[in-house]
Amino acid sequence: MNEQRIVGQAMPRLDARAKVTGEYVYGMDFSMPGMLHGKVLRSPHPHARLVDMDTRRAEALPGVRAIITGRDLPGVMMPGTVWDQPPLARDRVRYAGEPVAIVAATRPEIAEEAARLIAVKYEPLPIITDAEAAMQPGALLIHEDWASYKAEDGLVRKGNVCCHSTLHKGDVPQGFAEADTIFEDSFSTESVHQAHVEPRVAIGVVDSAGQVTVYSNTQLPYWIRTNVAHVMGVPESDVRIVPTGIGGGFGSKLYPQIEPFVALLARKAGRPVRIVTPIEEELAAGLPRHPCRLYIKTGVKKDGTIVARQACMILDTGAYAGSGPELASVGCLVLAGPYRIPHVQIDVYAVHTNKTNFGAYRGPSGPQANFALESHMDIIAEKLGLDALGFRLGNIVEEGDEAANGQILRGVGLRECLEKAAAAIEWGKPAGPNHGKGLACGWWTTTGGLSMCRARLDVGGKIIITLGTQEIGTGAIMGGVPQVVAEMMSVGLDDVRLVVADTASGLWDFGSQGSRTLFNVGRAAQFACADLIRQIKDLAEKILEVPADDLELRDGAVVGKGSPSERISLADLAKLDTKGDLHGRGQSYPDPAAYDPSRMTSCLYPAFHYPSFHCHAAEVEVDPGTGEVTVVRYAAAHDIGHAVNPTLIEGQIHGGVAQGIGMALMEEIVYRDGHVLNNNWTDYKLPTFADVPDVQAIIVQHPVEGGPFGVKGLGESPVIEPPATLANAVYHAAGARLTSLPITGEKILRASKEREKHT
Amino acid sequence: MSQLPIQLNVNGQEYFMEVEPHRTLLEVLREDLALTGTKSNCQEGECGACTVMVDDRAVNSCLFLAVRAHGKRIMTIEGLAGQGKLHPVQEAFIRYGGVQCGYCTPGFIVSAAALLATHPRPTGEELTRALAGNICRCTGYVNIRRALRAAIEAGRNAT
Repeated sequence: MNEQRIVGQAMPRLDARAKVTGEYVYGMDFSMPGMLHGKVLRSPHPHARLVDMDTRRAEALPGVRAIITGRDLPGVMMPGTVWDQPPLARDRVRYAGEPVAIVAATRPEIAEEAARLIAVKYEPLPIITDAEAAMQPGALLIHEDWASYKAEDGLVRKGNVCCHSTLHKGDVPQGFAEADTIFEDSFSTESVHQAHVEPRVAIGVVDSAGQVTVYSNTQLPYWIRTNVAHVMGVPESDVRIVPTGIGGGFGSKLYPQIEPFVALLARKAGRPVRIVTPIEEELAAGLPRHPCRLYIKTGVKKDGTIVARQACMILDTGAYAGSGPELASVGCLVLAGPYRIPHVQIDVYAVHTNKTNFGAYRGPSGPQANFALESHMDIIAEKLGLDALGFRLGNIVEEGDEAANGQILRGVGLRECLEKAAAAIEWGKPAGPNHGKGLACGWWTTTGGLSMCRARLDVGGKIIITLGTQEIGTGAIMGGVPQVVAEMMSVGLDDVRLVVADTASGLWDFGSQGSRTLFNVGRAAQFACADLIRQIKDLAEKILEVPADDLELRDGAVVGKGSPSERISLADLAKLDTKGDLHGRGQSYPDPAAYDPSRMTSCLYPAFHYPSFHCHAAEVEVDPGTGEVTVVRYAAAHDIGHAVNPTLIEGQIHGGVAQGIGMALMEEIVYRDGHVLNNNWTDYKLPTFADVPDVQAIIVQHPVEGGPFGVKGLGESPVIEPPATLANAVYHAAGARLTSLPITGEKILRASKEREKHT
Repeated sequence: MSQLPIQLNVNGQEYFMEVEPHRTLLEVLREDLALTGTKSNCQEGECGACTVMVDDRAVNSCLFLAVRAHGKRIMTIEGLAGQGKLHPVQEAFIRYGGVQCGYCTPGFIVSAAALLATHPRPTGEELTRALAGNICRCTGYVNIRRALRAAIEAGRNAT
């Protein structure tokens, strides 16, 4: 039945060789003749009035070519769901690390010295660092003019709350009245950083005609173009974003930070300008994950049937709205969970504090909400004397069910994920002393949006694919898409060439993000191939004198169906294409998932398109003396629709789990009074070779109609379940229920001691 | 600023150059010799992306002053493949999916190659100790470990 030759095979990705030899060119490897080096001067205060700025001494420093402050950009605000952020602070700074001035000089150390010589007079203001305190009536307003900001239609905003999203289904008081038992728990999570190994870097060039070019290791070139054009006050078509190789992004490189700066400086200096964000600035003023507080309440029948759920999630979104409003609605969907519950009320608030504006780290809102939900599920099961696996299996959604937002679910492989992940760690078998097992499940989205592609039959019968978003590391662009193309065109993988075009090509793309890349870019490539195949057959019809409908592509040639002797190779056809006609176009814009709008308010992301389902299960050992957690074994089952390349899929699962282990057990950006205390990779703990076990990736395939060969998104989901999975396993190993992340040895020992005191 | 004359042997090639005493080996390799395969990130010895071999030992080139490399043999990722043939660790990284974004890859491969040159059959603990200084954020290390085990196994069979 399976006639695929290429899709489904574990083939090497097209960029692998260049990456192991050091030849692959990343953003950090670019330089331009005559290039200047930029430096961002950042606020040392988490909240202050910006009273005065004197740049004269800096300007006098030999080698300084341009200095720009917020006052050079009067009235300019960055585009967004809420237009609340100036590119450079003008009269007020709202977080420690906020850019206040930018400098370009002939050498990096001169730019740094010049930044130091800019005299800024601040008048410190009181700060708010606790999101719940910021929600209280009468709290200090971080944006006094919040009501006058331009914002997305339908956003519910007030004071420090830049978005209040709700999901409401059924009659929640009635649901709790029907319950035999009601459970309530609260949780908290800290911010964690994407920790991409390649820094954020950009180079700007502006010519005398005003053409702006920015080289950037961005995941989302067209959004960078919008922002650069807006800040510079030029038409978008005069801005060209060239996406370079990306050394990891995980959402960090979605939003503009330094791209408008290099362009502004280049225009003023008349020379190319490069800015790199060093790690100490990246950790303090990047776009890391939102810290959260979560409250969750569930009503359950004696037999373990869930009848009602109420939850509240408070996303600390930092000084500016950024992705907070969108992620509030994502929080609603994750907290409702992949469960059948008749009555649901979820409230999620994105709230301002005097911290960096938190961004969209892989699966944004996901691990925080899932940690609360799936820890809570285990607490309920334990108190009811139910098996944690059985309790979930009794309440999960199945094929054709409705999710809480009213969307109808297709391709639901959740039961299989739960069963397979549990079996992989021998769920029913008791763990040894100081060992414990835990599991957690969830659902996630395959983001839609536009992707465009061109497919060209080139000399020698090769297929050239041109598209508008960059390979970020997952292999979606340099592995998945070429395999889809080779399959479609019936050629070898060696016959496919892939070109990532810059924004001057007009090949618009919603970017390498949101678990969307293979689904959408692959789908656009499929359409482009289908268009090209039609053209190839029309030409072959004239030559072979066989109707196009009776022709097919096979092994690099066009052949008659059932008459393989009638044949012309793609290489020969390419020779005949002297006018350059043979090129196909494809664009993918999948219909947004239908849902019930009456159940959602102020939700910018109201449904999970082509949702994926997953379950993780782990066994841990907790050292009773130190509280140290060792992950003994870890299995992650993901329903990804259809496996285009098993090695790449496993790689996504392993990597996501490792990041999730980091968030669960060790990673935390530590804030004190609005300042980051650990902005380096010695004090910010990342998982190493020694910390991650041989994660077992289990591929489950319940295909959906829509994406190439039935695929669903995978990039983000593996990071979502590890915190809850490990919290549940730690509970069984140490008897300590940890409701705040990260679960450090210190917290485990303290919780164990508390427990001893009370027993 | 004053410059000091140094002599470096990089990937078998002799270079005579003058460098400022504060410049790191990483900067000289990337900026003066255009050997950008060695990656730059943390600049403080935390990530391992800039790993090169100095007289067969893996070092963080961001913490190694160029003047200190005077008269020494440097091997970077560009020098690892010989005569168009990849190093077995490079081959294994391709085959077993040890590469994703690839930014940590050169440093990882150089660290592993340095270990295998002196310990062709490392224990699991030796492997972990040699590679715990190389941070990878994409692979979760699983397929890197798989690739290294395969390379070690292939080396064992070859001898």
